[in-house]
Amino acid sequence: MQFFSQRQRLSFAPFALFIATLLLWLVLAVSTGYAAPISVIDDRQNTVTLPQPAQRIISLAPSSTELIYSAGAGDKLVAAVSFSNYPEAAKKLPLVGSYNQFDLERVLAYQPDLVISWYSGNQPEAIEQLEKLGIAVYRTETRYLEQLPETLIKIGQLAGTETVAQQEADRFKQTLQHLKQTYSTQAKVRVFYQVWNQPLITINQENLISQVIEVCGGQNVFAELESIAPKIDVEAVLKANPDAIVASGMDEQRPEWLNDWKAWPSLKAVQDQQLHFIPPDHIQRQTVRVLLGAERLCQQLDQTRQLNTQSQRKPEQQAKPKQQAKHESHKDDALS
Amino acid sequence: MIPSTVSQQQQRNLLYLLLLALACLGSLVLALTSGSIEISLSDLWQVITTDQTSLQSTVVHELRLPRALSALIVGAQLALAGCLMQVLLRNPLADPYVLGVSGGAAVGALFSIMMGLGSFAMSANAFIGAMVNLLLVFGLAHSQGSWSPTRLLLTGVVTAAGWGAVISFMLSISQDHQLTGMVFWLMGDLSRAQLPGQHSLVFIICLLLSWALARPLNLMLRGEMQAKALGVSVYPLQIGLYLLASLLTASAVTQAGSIGFLGLVVPHILRLSLGTDHRLLLPASALAGGCLLLLADTLARTLIAPQQLPVGVITAFIGVPVFLWVLQKSNRGLV
Repeated sequence: MQFFSQRQRLSFAPFALFIATLLLWLVLAVSTGYAAPISVIDDRQNTVTLPQPAQRIISLAPSSTELIYSAGAGDKLVAAVSFSNYPEAAKKLPLVGSYNQFDLERVLAYQPDLVISWYSGNQPEAIEQLEKLGIAVYRTETRYLEQLPETLIKIGQLAGTETVAQQEADRFKQTLQHLKQTYSTQAKVRVFYQVWNQPLITINQENLISQVIEVCGGQNVFAELESIAPKIDVEAVLKANPDAIVASGMDEQRPEWLNDWKAWPSLKAVQDQQLHFIPPDHIQRQTVRVLLGAERLCQQLDQTRQLNTQSQRKPEQQAKPKQQAKHESHKDDALS
Repeated sequence: MIPSTVSQQQQRNLLYLLLLALACLGSLVLALTSGSIEISLSDLWQVITTDQTSLQSTVVHELRLPRALSALIVGAQLALAGCLMQVLLRNPLADPYVLGVSGGAAVGALFSIMMGLGSFAMSANAFIGAMVNLLLVFGLAHSQGSWSPTRLLLTGVVTAAGWGAVISFMLSISQDHQLTGMVFWLMGDLSRAQLPGQHSLVFIICLLLSWALARPLNLMLRGEMQAKALGVSVYPLQIGLYLLASLLTASAVTQAGSIGFLGLVVPHILRLSLGTDHRLLLPASALAGGCLLLLADTLARTLIAPQQLPVGVITAFIGVPVFLWVLQKSNRGLV
């Protein structure tokens, strides 16, 4: 100390303070993974900012749970809501309630640093309450298929798992693109999608399912209706006379009521036996698995399309039944 | 003089009933000729008279006719039950659901939806629920021996509130896709209606029985004491009324869920415009109720077709202005 004069010692004090602060900041930065604040815009155009990648995530919808796993952040999930049944690991997560009624206190007790909510499923008041309590909330709301990969990447950014999220997003885009190229430009197939039988409910063009139908080169016969899940009557279906009827029911099993349409043999879909089933989790959930539903639907509708083109050729053949008969008799002669 | 006035009145009553019956027939034809698939009057005539297997024929026989007939029966049952309930409870606010019959039925039906049971099990459970309510309310109101309309009303209203709580609980724990079906059931919905075979039998028997009680009912309107003095055995009559009204409501609710409002308003409209003679009032209520519900249901399925509206909305839209108009008019007449 004697090497420094009084004056020098005074000027050293702020310098030492600066060094100390720098060191402290460095230590903090190392311990939190060199984190700069992360900021993304969620599906409802709200900005979600985290000081560092999320470590404790809570999902408030079964679909959000799937998205979080797809984005590679599954191991950071600390709790979810009921019916979070995919992937298998999600079934073991502790629950905070159901998506429409969850236990706010239990959510807080898990001390999450990020909550992934579902805009049209969760109660908006409860979500606002969470935000007031200082918890970052990302609102998911999928209106277009193309939105899903973007949501994946954003969740990946928030959880610090961009690489996995990016891969999954690319895979999704490629598969979707492939399906579109293969099917969407082919001859249109008129489709009636039945959500439920009592009451009889279908979907309009705003629904994601209607977009999946379009990807497969189908045309939703009730696309133009006003409400997103309109209730209709049997007569309306008879009038629309779709080429195919697609239904999902409530679980992995083909709903019994899909066969009720067989009481209407005048329906083209019944004549051609085009009553198709897609598991609801593969098409009604706004997740990556919608591609499974899309692939299945595209194959089913392609089958319908083949039948349509065959039946278009048929009338020509039927126009000359006598000639055909002659042909066949010739064949018989030739064979014998 | 006296015999001729009586017969004049009878003629007038008969005329009213005939007019109402014609209105029912008119609504039936309207119901059968309107819908997404075009069926004109002449088509309808062909479909009914000739035996054919066209699409139009199937639509009429399989879809429209069962639905129209059950609308007629349900409407008639509700209006008749409301009429009986208002006399029994001596309360103008009484409707078929006031004693909790629909609540009991709803719990049965919602339970079936939750369990994913078929529509037959649903009807059966709804009916069982209604019967449980009937016995529960009757037993509770009866147990202390001092049976009175007020006591019955209170017991019924509180039991209904209890059912309401059970319904809310069931709604809050069910899944999405079940919820839609449940809400439609609660609002009243004729889309799953079958041909009302055994229900029309229930209706006809109840109508005949209550018609037979029309005279004592007229006397009851003068008050219990007067009725007793005039030789009416009030207590058995009240029990009979309770059973008839509950049975009618149970049957109606089993077919179409709880369609509100009709059972309250139709008897009032008729009482204000036709008078309080139950010999006329009971069959007139049944006819008017059936007619109104059939018209409302036809509108519900065609107004914004192919989308469907809940029929209860339309019954209220038609019934409220008619009721207020009749009420207004009768006030003027009285003053």
